[in-house]
Amino acid sequence: MKVRDVQHAVLPQTTVEERSRQGAVVALRRLLNAKVRPRNVEIYDSEAAPAFAERHGRRPQSEEEIREAFLMAPSYRLWSAANRSAQEMIWVSVGQPIYRDLDRMEAVTEELMHSPARRGSLTLDPSYDPSPEVADVDIHLQPGGYGMDRGENDVVAGALYELGGNVFSFGQGIGRGDSKAGVILRLLEEAFTGFKPARMLDIGCSAGAASAAYAAHWPDVEVHALDLGAGMLRYAHARAESLGVAVHFHQMDASSLTFEDDSFDLVVSHNLMHEIGEEKRQAMIRESFRVVRPGGVVIHQDVAIRNPPTLVHQVERDWDTHWNGEVHWATYATADLKADMIAAGFPADTVIEHDLAALSGMMNNRWYAISGRKPGQDNNG
Amino acid sequence: MKSEAEALIELISSARGARKPSLANRETEEVLNIALATLIELAVANDRIDRLERLVAQLRGEDVSALRDITYEGDVAEERQQATDGLLMRAMRIMLDPREEAVTEKAAD
Ligand SMILES: C[S@@+](CC[C@H](N)C(=O)[O-])C[C@H]1O[C@@H](n2cnc3c(N)ncnc32)[C@H](O)[C@@H]1O
Repeated sequence: MKVRDVQHAVLPQTTVEERSRQGAVVALRRLLNAKVRPRNVEIYDSEAAPAFAERHGRRPQSEEEIREAFLMAPSYRLWSAANRSAQEMIWVSVGQPIYRDLDRMEAVTEELMHSPARRGSLTLDPSYDPSPEVADVDIHLQPGGYGMDRGENDVVAGALYELGGNVFSFGQGIGRGDSKAGVILRLLEEAFTGFKPARMLDIGCSAGAASAAYAAHWPDVEVHALDLGAGMLRYAHARAESLGVAVHFHQMDASSLTFEDDSFDLVVSHNLMHEIGEEKRQAMIRESFRVVRPGGVVIHQDVAIRNPPTLVHQVERDWDTHWNGEVHWATYATADLKADMIAAGFPADTVIEHDLAALSGMMNNRWYAISGRKPGQDNNG
Repeated sequence: MKSEAEALIELISSARGARKPSLANRETEEVLNIALATLIELAVANDRIDRLERLVAQLRGEDVSALRDITYEGDVAEERQQATDGLLMRAMRIMLDPREEAVTEKAAD
């Protein structure tokens, strides 16, 4: 099953004009990313650093000074303003059909959530207050953020995430057929030959695209998935039911799981680490170690923005922190994740960082992942 | 089902956080946003024209490239040229506006 562009009943019904508009925003993003953004580092040398030197009598040194210099370059500022605008237009282009068609989507959700034929489950925790470091921010400018919950059958956060993700990733050059779950399945085959879980967990699942893909790939595996947002989880649950795959969704904080010790064979997270702060991340990694069984595998996958070649590249990448609501982008990019894994209990010789090719990327897209294995007798699976 | 405008108001009013401009001033940045949004709408309109052209070509039983392959000559060429000149004049009006920038009082400080 392809993860993106999967048709299911909870998607809004879009008009041909709305699809045109989404396509045009994708094209604008692609142009800004592929043709304009790559010039930023040159602009730094030709406009930014000289402007800084003229004002201060020396070249920029620190990250803050490099950022200040960038902002002295009109070409950089124009790219930045246009990029922010394009990001906002993604949400306009997908938000219009969602809010327009919401009554129908909520009715379908209610039906799927209570259908006697449902294969998975949804467990919400009304006493849980979504982690404010994520829920209080409109991360990558998604209006209302990941934690938005507008009541009983609300699915807006999930719908925005899935549709925005389709538009966004296509504009970035991540091919539509790409699947982060697919990349991890390939990694398991190559690096953990013969390993197959009976019970697995997907932490920070959002709309459940990867969770559903695992369930489709391994119909006999018990797939659990968790996220902080109720609106996100209702959508994920209804989506999985509409696709006919069994996933058990839970509202829970990644840093404090209610699952028993040693209760999963495989624990994964996709694109979660860059959304959370350092303490949450370290606690999340500790929890992934606790709940995986001896001999079990843990893989945390995320965006390949680590190890930029120079400080100027790093500051350029860090645009998302300042203009795209990605408040933990830089924290993730510069974190010592190997140390976090070892501190959580993984033996150092099992902790491996992977540089992974996307399944079908357009711009040689890559993913980062770090894996570890809990010590124990049973290493087979 | 909500209207487009109602749906958009609901979406727009759900956004949170401060909006930090990249350009030296906020008005310029807002105008850029309007221009880019208009650009997207132009793409949407072009798609719509394309759909109509294809439909007309199909109804006429000819290739769409044949339908589009019209070279303007004579009066028609003149009419199209005038329409284009008018369009450009409307778009570039501000650059031809003879009025000088007035010195405005900044909001009482
Ligand atoms: C970028 S999304 C990744 C979604 C999905 N795994 C994917 O790859 O498409 C990150 C998700 O992590 C969730 N999240 C962030 N902090 C969390 C926390 N402390 N506990 C549980 N979920 C969290 C967010 O709500 C969001 O849905």
